[in-house]
Amino acid sequence: MLEITQGLLGGFATALKPLYLYYAFLGAVLGTITGVLPGLGPLGAMAILLSFTLSMDATGAMILFAGIYYGAMYGGSTTSILLNIPGEAASVVTCIDGYKMAQKGRAGAALTVAAVGSFIAGTISILGLMVVALFLSDIALRFGPAEFFAIGVCGLVLLMRLSGGSLLQSFIMILVGMALGTVGVDFLAGTERFTFGNVELGQGIDFLPVAMGIFGIAEVLTTVAEKESLQTVQKVKMRDLLPTAKEWKRSIPAMFRGSFLGFAIGLVPGPSPVIATFVSYISEKRFSKNPEEFGEGAIEGVAGPEAANNAAVGGAYVPLFALGIPFTPAMAMVLGALMLHGLTPGPNLIKEKSELFWAVMASMYIGNFMLIVLNLPLVNVFVSILRVPKNILMPVIVIICMIGVYSVNSSLLDLLMLALFGFIGYILRAVGFQVAPLILAMVIGPMIETSLRQALNITGGNIGDMIFRPICLTLYILASLTFVVPLIMKAIRKGKG
Amino acid sequence: MIGNTPRNHKIIALFLFGFALFYFLGSFRLKMGTLKIPGPGLIPVVLGGLLVFCSGFYLYRVAFQNRRESMGKEGSAEGGRNYRAIAGVLACTLIYPFILEPLKFILATFSAGFLMLFLLRPRRPFSSGLLALSLAVGAFLIFSRLFGVAFPSGFLENFIFRIGG
Repeated sequence: MLEITQGLLGGFATALKPLYLYYAFLGAVLGTITGVLPGLGPLGAMAILLSFTLSMDATGAMILFAGIYYGAMYGGSTTSILLNIPGEAASVVTCIDGYKMAQKGRAGAALTVAAVGSFIAGTISILGLMVVALFLSDIALRFGPAEFFAIGVCGLVLLMRLSGGSLLQSFIMILVGMALGTVGVDFLAGTERFTFGNVELGQGIDFLPVAMGIFGIAEVLTTVAEKESLQTVQKVKMRDLLPTAKEWKRSIPAMFRGSFLGFAIGLVPGPSPVIATFVSYISEKRFSKNPEEFGEGAIEGVAGPEAANNAAVGGAYVPLFALGIPFTPAMAMVLGALMLHGLTPGPNLIKEKSELFWAVMASMYIGNFMLIVLNLPLVNVFVSILRVPKNILMPVIVIICMIGVYSVNSSLLDLLMLALFGFIGYILRAVGFQVAPLILAMVIGPMIETSLRQALNITGGNIGDMIFRPICLTLYILASLTFVVPLIMKAIRKGKG
Repeated sequence: MIGNTPRNHKIIALFLFGFALFYFLGSFRLKMGTLKIPGPGLIPVVLGGLLVFCSGFYLYRVAFQNRRESMGKEGSAEGGRNYRAIAGVLACTLIYPFILEPLKFILATFSAGFLMLFLLRPRRPFSSGLLALSLAVGAFLIFSRLFGVAFPSGFLENFIFRIGG
């Protein structure tokens, strides 16, 4: 406990420096803007801004990204409540009761509850993140290659199961991502793999152009294909922002329930913020004394899911900081930013770069506070961004993506990769493929391969020795259960029917 | 947007199968090693094999699904798409790497930006030109002066860099 208190105080001392406060502010504002804009979610924003972080130190980059992630989560709820347009996937559930509340003239109360819920959830998840990440990183220091291989495989299996869509399609995406991760010089043997004699490819396919292409350019292509529609933006008056005593009474317990639920779900691989909102909404409806109000403007239907999606963000940071494995695409971006600064996340990072870890924790808290102070009074300003025509905004985003990719390595090959993966990402999404498993497998793939080869070396090629270890076996059983349990449930339902 | 039609699924499945075969066959050129001392080709061969099997199964599934069902869906999802905009944005991202060094940063960025803006809002060429120019100059100043990025530079870039302060 003393370690946490000391670390956090040190973190606040770092994060309260004017430059880092500026990055937290910038991240919160940029995140809110991207959250407000339908289509361009936190992933797109992180992908576009990844190259910008080069001019910052690692702490600054992490603070900016945390601000973007939290800001986007909150920004998405603004358009859901006011316009019935989810700014990003995790805000879909908020549309159901948030928009109904707006239609009844309670938009201000819904926005305040969403903001306060996000703040409470952010606080709880940061506390959870500190405790769980520290605990897990201590254990992870004792892990060997076999354990890291098992964690990687288990993570990908869970991701495949939870990312939605067809299992076969998700598995193919994972295999393609892992295949792309094998391109370049194999650093264990020094052999070139799939480089075709190209020196630049020897360093492997860079994560940045692939991520920017698949999430940034593909998003632009999807957006420009749709017809432009003018948004009628509802004005929110300052005096309407305060919820009534009854609304507070109903929403505060929902915020706490959503926070704990969201944090727990955030630890699981896959689109955790999205899953967290749905689970929170369903559980709020199930435990409510007035379930008939859900869908008609129940304030718990806004408070719970909004808290859950923010708490899931904190949860998603745990595997990255403690194990060095990103379980969500957004965390893959954070990993990319860390790697751009020559840092490899994992159990050692918290010990060796404790200043960075605690500064990020403290800045998350500051970022959450900034969101509540800034976003409620400025809600009308943020929503007015929707008035910028897409046919101006989209070319600007493409230009920023291209310049951003070029600025990292001054490589024309990276620019070609951006175009190629933009097109591939667009086509794959258009026919219903989930692209998140591809990008995550590309990041985790090399780690899985290295761990496997090291583990085989250590065990003398004995696969049994790799599997029958307590942690490994538990993880493999857990991964198998994700397939077995649905089959059993299906059989039971069939039997009853 | 390209529609989620059976025909497009078949094209994607064929492309994935082609990629899988290419990767699988290519992986045999690498040393496999043994289980005790795995070589750089072991994982690519395993991945390639799985990829060929899965993409082959996927191709089989989409190729032989109910024809009547596919005829019903065919074409329905593709109506009203802004293909010109998609092609324009894609063309710009593809052309940009090839014109960046010969035209230098500002002219190349202006050309790509203008082309995209013009394709998306054809009735306003003048304002599109002005916007593209300010975008190119603004991006150059921000990235080169603020972030210290070295772009392909010619007379125009050197001139702007000097007057930029």
